[in-house]
Amino acid sequence: MIKKISLTLTIACLTIICFAQENSGEFHGDFDLNMQSYQEDKLIEAEPVDEIILNNAYLNINYTQGNFAAGLRYESYLNALLDFDDDYKGNGIPFRYATYTIDGLEVTAGNYYEQIGSGLIFRSYENKGLGIDNAMDGVRLKYIPVKGIYLKTFIGKNRTYFTYSDGIIRGADAEVNLNESLNFESKTKIIVGQGFVSRFQADNNPKFKLPQNIAAYSSRLNIINGGWNYSGEYAIKLNDPIGSLTAEGNNYANGNALMSSLAYSQRGFGIIAEMHRVDHMEFRSERAQEKQYIINYIPTLTKQHTYTLLALYPCATQSEGEFGTQVDVFYKIKKGSVLGGKYGTKISFNFSNIRSLEKGVKYDTNKNEIEEISSSFKNDYTDFTPKFFSKNGELFFNDINLEIYKKINKKMKATGILARQSYNKDVLEGKTPGTYGTVNSTIAIADVSYKIKEGHTVRVELQELLADGGDGSWSMGLVEYTISPHWFFAVQDMYNWGNHDVEKQLHYVNINCGFLKGANRIAIGYGKKRAGIFCVGGVCKEVPSANGFSLTISSSF
Amino acid sequence: MKNIITLFSFILIITSCDVVEGPYLIDNGGITPVDTSSNTYVKKVLIEDFTGHTCPNCPAAAKELEAIHDVYGDQIIGMALHVSTGFAAPQTGSGKFEYDFRTEWGTEWDDFFDISNAGLPRGMVNRTGYPDEHKLGKNEWLAAVITELEKEIDFGISITSEMNEDEGNITINTELLNDVIGDYNLVACLTESHIINWQKDGQIENAFYEHNHVLRSVLIDKNLSTSSSYSSGDEIIEPIIINLTTLEQYNIDYSVNTAINGSGNAGGWNAENMSVIAYIYDNTTKEIVQVEEAHLNE
Amino acid sequence: MRKLLLTITAVAILSTLSIAQNRTLPSVDVKTLNGGSMNITAIENDGNPIVISFWATWCKPCKKELNTIAEVYEDWQDETGVKLIALSIDDTRTMTKVAPYVNASDWDYEVYLDPNGDLKRAMGVSTVPHTFLLNSKKEIVWQHKGYVDGDENELLEQIEKIAK
Repeated sequence: MIKKISLTLTIACLTIICFAQENSGEFHGDFDLNMQSYQEDKLIEAEPVDEIILNNAYLNINYTQGNFAAGLRYESYLNALLDFDDDYKGNGIPFRYATYTIDGLEVTAGNYYEQIGSGLIFRSYENKGLGIDNAMDGVRLKYIPVKGIYLKTFIGKNRTYFTYSDGIIRGADAEVNLNESLNFESKTKIIVGQGFVSRFQADNNPKFKLPQNIAAYSSRLNIINGGWNYSGEYAIKLNDPIGSLTAEGNNYANGNALMSSLAYSQRGFGIIAEMHRVDHMEFRSERAQEKQYIINYIPTLTKQHTYTLLALYPCATQSEGEFGTQVDVFYKIKKGSVLGGKYGTKISFNFSNIRSLEKGVKYDTNKNEIEEISSSFKNDYTDFTPKFFSKNGELFFNDINLEIYKKINKKMKATGILARQSYNKDVLEGKTPGTYGTVNSTIAIADVSYKIKEGHTVRVELQELLADGGDGSWSMGLVEYTISPHWFFAVQDMYNWGNHDVEKQLHYVNINCGFLKGANRIAIGYGKKRAGIFCVGGVCKEVPSANGFSLTISSSF
Repeated sequence: MKNIITLFSFILIITSCDVVEGPYLIDNGGITPVDTSSNTYVKKVLIEDFTGHTCPNCPAAAKELEAIHDVYGDQIIGMALHVSTGFAAPQTGSGKFEYDFRTEWGTEWDDFFDISNAGLPRGMVNRTGYPDEHKLGKNEWLAAVITELEKEIDFGISITSEMNEDEGNITINTELLNDVIGDYNLVACLTESHIINWQKDGQIENAFYEHNHVLRSVLIDKNLSTSSSYSSGDEIIEPIIINLTTLEQYNIDYSVNTAINGSGNAGGWNAENMSVIAYIYDNTTKEIVQVEEAHLNE
Repeated sequence: MRKLLLTITAVAILSTLSIAQNRTLPSVDVKTLNGGSMNITAIENDGNPIVISFWATWCKPCKKELNTIAEVYEDWQDETGVKLIALSIDDTRTMTKVAPYVNASDWDYEVYLDPNGDLKRAMGVSTVPHTFLLNSKKEIVWQHKGYVDGDENELLEQIEKIAK
């Protein structure tokens, strides 16, 4: 009820403001529609849906007038696409806000998205592709007392689907840019930040003591000097048991995470080395809830691949415990050199390795070993903290890849990629150890585009993945024809020729075409989607296979 | 002024945290389980634990159910329903997980309440929250149980049963404690405990896992009465005649003929370890308003 | 519910009316590659056209667009005085790679970061690449979603239209 009233009020305000200040305010927004039909396809195990067609749609409207802004988002799931959790159901306006800024103070009421540092202790964000939206509903203050000092505090509840969590989230963050605030010019720039988040949820457990206010802190440092850039962040989350009644269910250990990166770059060359260590850092908006309620974000330390077969086995952060390292090198061989040719050649190299922390053992009330654990754990019977560096770390993910891009002549451009990946399917897909083991794959990709005439380009992608485990080897081909500025057509086929199950050696053919004009884009497609793990930004979900037509409309005004 | 506001809220927020020191266990928190053996009726809560013998995380849910039972005593009634092809189908010929715990009713309820699609383990506490918030993860059960236990009861149920070999008579007696208007159904079912069989438990494949409260059969699921208005003091007596061999055969036939990848390996019932669970639910909200459990032959 | 829908429709209609007037940039803070913060309304190009191109290090067509323009950027600048702002929506997973990538790619663009999508949302950007063209008063006069080879020519035409 309260929600409805506040909604109506927001809309009323918007309307009034619009009438009152017709000449100075501005409305804008965007609209997205994704429709997909689902037909039965026994071969790929695609199930038909009773509704035949499923549909997700969003309309954002923002109003701004000087220092004031307000807006809302209408969401419609009739019913939600199979990729989405079916808890997204029906229509509603789950997002509305009003904000104003005056003399360096910004006040927001309603929904907002917020992030502290890298997100290790708190990140409220949306990702439509994955169906993630943990927007806050509450109030937020941001204030800049003097140049170079940025303060913010907020309080609210996190959204999950169409509801808000029981936990109340309070947060604060201070960032100080030392150069700006102390007003000195220096080649070295130093920025420090300190964040804090606390969740309140009443203790309802009759058997175990539960903390009601769960705190998490993070400190960060960023030093920049010329081409050098160091950034680091360390976070601690204090005791956050799930509130189980079983003897082994509650983990009172503190969690912590450290991330550190050092980059150097100059014209034509860039290198970046990163590490992170994460131990028991999953933070949820309700203690007893599951992954959909996560309110922090641990960036995945692997390359975010876009070519289909490179992203076939994607990595996701194990926020309960992992140790990762990554190195990226970007290099542009100069124009006119032997290797650079007329236009230069771009090379990028990436290496990443993700492992588990040191393993330990969990005991029951009688001091019997009951389970292997690989992150901090503390209760009345067990007290385990993994060492900083682990010797017996289990491999989660490893990726070495090299990409070369070259413009061959005025009409032709080519990209070539070679990669070797190891993917611990059991861990990364949450399966029982020993079910699938690790999939080792070797991947080669060639992507060539050729300009036929002004505005007409044809692009061909050939991809090959050789693997023994998992679904075995794959080939993929894609032909895309684009006519600038309005049209694109594409046909692609993925072929799982190496599947150990001969009946599953299938082709997944997709046809897509689209029309673009200015801020409008409309695309239709037909084809089969394979079931698999779909990730964006290191957050992954399993999607079912599907066969049918799709329609996508995206527009902004 | 603005400085003060911001700084003040800043300081307020960063002081809000608790650190709890061990020992964490507080002897059942002073809760004395309500004496359920007396003649007065007390509110009881049914936890339906949807599970599967190859679901590695499911034993943790069964443990949670036992732990809730330990705290609240016999006010908590458990039922384990093995559902879904992925987690509950027998792995015939593998030497492990060959038993078929599934039942026609478990599958039906799983479809109706859409449980296993959301991932197992998952359960319902008195089926509250339907249609949107009834699928609860094991850690959510406690909060739901606490809410349920505070509710008043309108119905009192008592169960008596008498077995003679395989044949038996069960009587479900419902007594109205208040005037009630509504559309109610009465369900009676059989569960079996102490079944030793395979269960995937985390990383371990346990051949000697003890399966408790496993749903075996639903005896009735019908309108509590033809009327929709009840007066305090009304009594409704529901006699049921059962034949365990017939019921057992029914499950075997279901496994062979209907269940996906079924094998018919669904027999071996032990009447000694069986219980009768009877509950009344509101046909509109699907919420279970009262539930009772008694050993078979008691 | 019906009332709600009516109101939304009303709002939507009003909004279409008000897009007749030119749209300005929303007041949203973005991060600079130097670790600082800046309000996007503070961007300047002495009254010459500004292009804001939303991109990410993981977006193939975005990089293609910006790499293609990079080859002719000097010519464009000489001809029209245009300035291109490459607005990265990389989140904290890939944000640290932006500066090395930009430097290694030899881009002369002004680069800003929008790691939690605040500006992206405020400007109605749902997918990248998404390119906006701003006139001398920093009003958005043209926008384009997506990139296919050759689209840079249309962008140049639009820039030429408004360049002095």
